[in-house]
Amino acid sequence: MATERELSDFLLSVEKRAFKRTVYHVREEESALDIVQDSMMKLAEHYGDKPPNELPMLFQRILSNCTLDWFRRQKTRNALFSNLSDFESASDDGDFDLLETYTSPENSQQVESAEDATRRAQVLREIETEIMELPARQREAFLMRYWEDMDVAETAAAMGCSEGSVKTHCSRAVAALSKALRAKGIQL
Amino acid sequence: MTTTDPLRARQADQFGRRVAMRLDAATRELPYEVNERLRAARVRALQVRKQHEVAPVMVDRGGAATLGLGQRSWFNRLASVLPLVLLAAGLVLIHIAQSDRRATELAEVDAALLTDDLPPAAYADPGFVQFLKSGGGD
Repeated sequence: MATERELSDFLLSVEKRAFKRTVYHVREEESALDIVQDSMMKLAEHYGDKPPNELPMLFQRILSNCTLDWFRRQKTRNALFSNLSDFESASDDGDFDLLETYTSPENSQQVESAEDATRRAQVLREIETEIMELPARQREAFLMRYWEDMDVAETAAAMGCSEGSVKTHCSRAVAALSKALRAKGIQL
Repeated sequence: MTTTDPLRARQADQFGRRVAMRLDAATRELPYEVNERLRAARVRALQVRKQHEVAPVMVDRGGAATLGLGQRSWFNRLASVLPLVLLAAGLVLIHIAQSDRRATELAEVDAALLTDDLPPAAYADPGFVQFLKSGGGD
């Protein structure tokens, strides 16, 4: 059974990635925060007594289900899965003031750091944009597999699909991302 | 790109991990208000867990004080089922006792009839009934 400290540490370790992943899915920071908070509450309320090693998988499933619920509610409300306003809000809210954050450090190499930081922030924005352009299942599989560092079996279990589907989603996502980034002159 | 080609699969994995490293940078530079909202959400989640934890402890204490044992659920179940079992057993015993008594009474009547001087077939005889009505039996 996970102690309060273990649960707190676990939530601390996943909350930022969970937020960003959800932003990539729903393209709204406010909604993403609500979804992550809802997921945390559900995990603590229903599975707070589970062993620590079971928490990551449970949290991924809860987060996926909460995100799906959000899309269902949006679909009901707007009668459209995605619309132009979603893309507009994504481009507005997707700027997390990284430029300001990166240019703020005060050190002797401020000019060089600012250039590097600007370049890094631009690359990051391009990557985020391309990730948001991926089909939902490809994006989910890619982020779980590589960002959450889950293996194929775990990703398949969390997504409720076969391991073959996960491999297919991931390889297509990698192909699409690498092609799009290469077209923009970005080499990773 | 196919996943059956090990080399390409390895390259895909490497590319995916390089993208993930870049994405990690995004999580390190989240705005202050987002970090605060996440922290508040975490605190709220832990509070929910605390309430979830406290309730069973209180019940456990009550159960232990009443029963002197830790197996609360089994004793609670037994304590709730036992009166019903006793009630059903009592009803069955009453039914059996009443049946026995009725059988005994009938047996006594039958025995009295059979051991009487008058044979039982006489009561079915119309002449004998008439004899009784006319007071011949006195």
